[in-house]
Amino acid sequence: MPDIEKDLHTEYMVINMGPSHPVTHGTVKFLVTLDGETIEDLQVDIGYLHRGFEKMCESGTWQQVFPYTDRLNYVSPLINNVGYALAVEKLIGIDVPERCKYIRVIASELSRIADHMTNVAAGGLELGAFTAFLYFVEARELIWDLIEMLCGARVTANYVRIGGLKNDLPDGFKEKTGEAFKRCRTLWKDVNKLLTKNRIFIDRVRDVGNMPADEAIAYGFTGPCLRACGVPYDVRKANPYLVYDRMDFEVPIGETGDNFDKYLVRMEEINQSMHIVEQALNELPAGPINVDMPYYRWQSKDDIYTRIDSLIFHFKTVIEGIKPPAGEVYLAVEGANGELGFYLVSDGTGKPYKCRVRPPCFPLTAAMPRLMKGRLIADIVPTFDMINMIGGECDR
Amino acid sequence: MVADLIESVAKILFIFSVNLGFFAPILGWVERKQSAVMQDRIGANRANIGGFTVLGLFHPIADAIKVLTKEDFIPAGANKFFHTLAPFICLVPAIVTFSVIPFGGRYQLFGHHVNLVIADLDVGILFVFALTSLATYGVVLSGWSSRSNWSLLGGLRASAQMLSYEVAMGLTIIGIIMVFGSLKLTDIGAMQENFLHWGIFLQPLGFILFFTCAVAENKRAPFDIPEAESELVAGYFTEYSGLKFVMFWMGEFLEIVAISGILTTLFFGAWHIPFVTDQRLLSLFQFAGPNGAAVLAMLVGIATFFAKVIFFIWLQMTIRWTLPRFRYDQVMRLCWKMILPLSLINITITGLVLLLWIK
Amino acid sequence: MTQLDRKESHATVGVPAGRLRPKRVRRNLDLTLWEKLYLFEIIRGIYVTTKHFAFNMIGFVVPPRGKKRSVFTVYYPEEKVTLPPAYRGRPVLVMRADGTEKCVACGLCEKICPGHAISIVGGERENSERYPLSYVLDMTRCVYCGFCEEVCPKEAVVMSSEYQGLAETDRSNLRYSKEQLLRSEESVKGRIEYIRRIYSKCNY
Repeated sequence: MPDIEKDLHTEYMVINMGPSHPVTHGTVKFLVTLDGETIEDLQVDIGYLHRGFEKMCESGTWQQVFPYTDRLNYVSPLINNVGYALAVEKLIGIDVPERCKYIRVIASELSRIADHMTNVAAGGLELGAFTAFLYFVEARELIWDLIEMLCGARVTANYVRIGGLKNDLPDGFKEKTGEAFKRCRTLWKDVNKLLTKNRIFIDRVRDVGNMPADEAIAYGFTGPCLRACGVPYDVRKANPYLVYDRMDFEVPIGETGDNFDKYLVRMEEINQSMHIVEQALNELPAGPINVDMPYYRWQSKDDIYTRIDSLIFHFKTVIEGIKPPAGEVYLAVEGANGELGFYLVSDGTGKPYKCRVRPPCFPLTAAMPRLMKGRLIADIVPTFDMINMIGGECDR
Repeated sequence: MVADLIESVAKILFIFSVNLGFFAPILGWVERKQSAVMQDRIGANRANIGGFTVLGLFHPIADAIKVLTKEDFIPAGANKFFHTLAPFICLVPAIVTFSVIPFGGRYQLFGHHVNLVIADLDVGILFVFALTSLATYGVVLSGWSSRSNWSLLGGLRASAQMLSYEVAMGLTIIGIIMVFGSLKLTDIGAMQENFLHWGIFLQPLGFILFFTCAVAENKRAPFDIPEAESELVAGYFTEYSGLKFVMFWMGEFLEIVAISGILTTLFFGAWHIPFVTDQRLLSLFQFAGPNGAAVLAMLVGIATFFAKVIFFIWLQMTIRWTLPRFRYDQVMRLCWKMILPLSLINITITGLVLLLWIK
Repeated sequence: MTQLDRKESHATVGVPAGRLRPKRVRRNLDLTLWEKLYLFEIIRGIYVTTKHFAFNMIGFVVPPRGKKRSVFTVYYPEEKVTLPPAYRGRPVLVMRADGTEKCVACGLCEKICPGHAISIVGGERENSERYPLSYVLDMTRCVYCGFCEEVCPKEAVVMSSEYQGLAETDRSNLRYSKEQLLRSEESVKGRIEYIRRIYSKCNY
């Protein structure tokens, strides 16, 4: 009845889902204009976690950047380490030994499992399924125990070096991995039983956050979100790096790009990553893990304690930094969220001239208004969860 | 006359002490511990007195002390009267509901008929529904008077949800009332002496629908959208702290117990043990004389009733921690498009069966 | 394969289909009637959590082999987690048997520290041996990365496995001086052997 509605004074309500809000994990601000419960407009504000990563890189040497890269995507830190190391190695033009490549693959995949578990768990938590969250957190603890056994810290790993790794696999790693994966698979099945066919969950996440494939590519989506839209793009398959071309794994693809597809793609990727780690552990060749180039890689302690030339190289590379030839390089690895790219510019000195990171979740967050117009406010929760915006990566 | 007075006072004291003194604090402990054990962890168990942590049972006491000493604030510009009144409106119906739930049968004690229910109203179950309707006011008032966007959204969602589910709840009950032919809860309880006459066998669909509606009325997961933690920071009680906040919580917990009580009375045989009739129970205790036997039978009845109530509390807690929550429009759709038609079908089929077969 | 062909993008041109091996996730969960009724999946979910509940309750009374209880919690501080040898705790300075520090104040750890936590003032002794006059490690800046241990040419700085007692109420107490950082060589012997093993020649 239009006459009645003309006299009703209605106005939109602007709500600030501010930087600290239970659902915006990763500090981000949404300015939501609501008409009742329907979203009229959504504005995204990022940058609350900007710490000046790129500027910090310019003030330290090439090797000092590794702890900074840990803190980019802090849920899967080893992938950032590997990406940066591969980019610098491409700039220099060196190739690492085989064993190092296999161990880097193992480290990347363990981090990817941890990231996907965190994301699915947080998705369950936001939707109210607390128990699914805690089961995956328990599984993630086991993965973190493996990473701690490997390099000494659970999250800020600082494991990869330019031209090799910090240390080799510890004793008993393969057995411990077997045990941990057994328990992880049991918990995966439990969470699958709790969530995947649960109609309450399906109703929340299906047909919410759809994205047609061509629009997704136009926005710059990569990673699980793009694969959920049906585009089979995976950096590990398209431009294989390390030893991924020898690994046997499948790439899960969704169909419409809604949240349910993203959830299913991530759950399947956990399985595939576990399979990759087991293959790599079986095929691991013996041999060295570092290149023997004193110009670019700190030498062994045996040499430093006894030989004067090693000591001199050591002092030069630590204080002045390694000196890659002048030039620029871009290298992309498959991060947990998508294509994580490093663009490095070197001017021949020991400090990077520029170190830019292409964050995979930046285009995903930018697409939030497009996904959310016309939806209910309760739809922000699963959509933003499944995008997996990590504050450290988006804001650097 | 005096005996009646003593009886009433004893029953009121008993129910209040069990409710407010036992169930309300214990349910907080149960929620923490049960969810913890389900999730592979130990719950909160550090609160101790002199080094004795009794499985964390001192935590409710610690909570009480914390709540009483917290600052009680009212947001600037809020409506003071309604802000303070709303928790009471939420809490009182939950407590008063217990006055019509029978926790035992009728016994002959010292030459006096004892009916283990505080108020044996003729309209039994309707009284419960009337009270839960009042609880809606508390939620809406708290959402409105807090002068905050989040509270307002929570309060509006709650009003729509609670109203719709009251309608559905009323209709789901009609089946069981038709079968038993009475609104008095004591009569319904007494008629379930035979194990095969328990409500769950006579009205399985009614049980499921009523359970769903009752959980939705109580705003517990999976229907806890009014207080959805992750969307609206705490929904309609965002701007409450201290004693008023605890009153909302206590209202919720006490309503869990009330719902369990009603479910037990209507569907699960109230105070009866399966395959044991009242006569057999009394004859079992003949060694203590007629009064003693009545007392023992009374105690057994009360224990059975509360055991079943505890089972339903456990079930509701498990459901809360297992399932994700609905979206707002899906809750409405569930009520109006699924539960309501199903309850009408239930009524029709029950009526047909009663008419054609049971004659 | 038809669906995939239609959704080709320039990013996947050139990737042979055999190498790509896409796997379609089971998208069309045509919910059977069994699943459309919420009830049965809810019962399955309750079964999963009740199974965990029952195992853990029994595990409180009858613990499984080798563990104290069936739940995942480690009851800190009464029980502690066993740390792997690779664990990076607080950096400490190594002290020789006669009480002097092994550090020669070369300044490598100061240069490599990504958080600029270390400040060294070097000096010489009478026998022209260098030693640090003052070695200040600012714990408010240390990120426990392990670089100082990795570059030290004298095994003078190692990452111990201490993780307790690192919290203070006053920030000025957190700038640890040389005396607070010294530990005897005996107490960090395990760590020194570990770093000799991992940074040995066989890795190159």
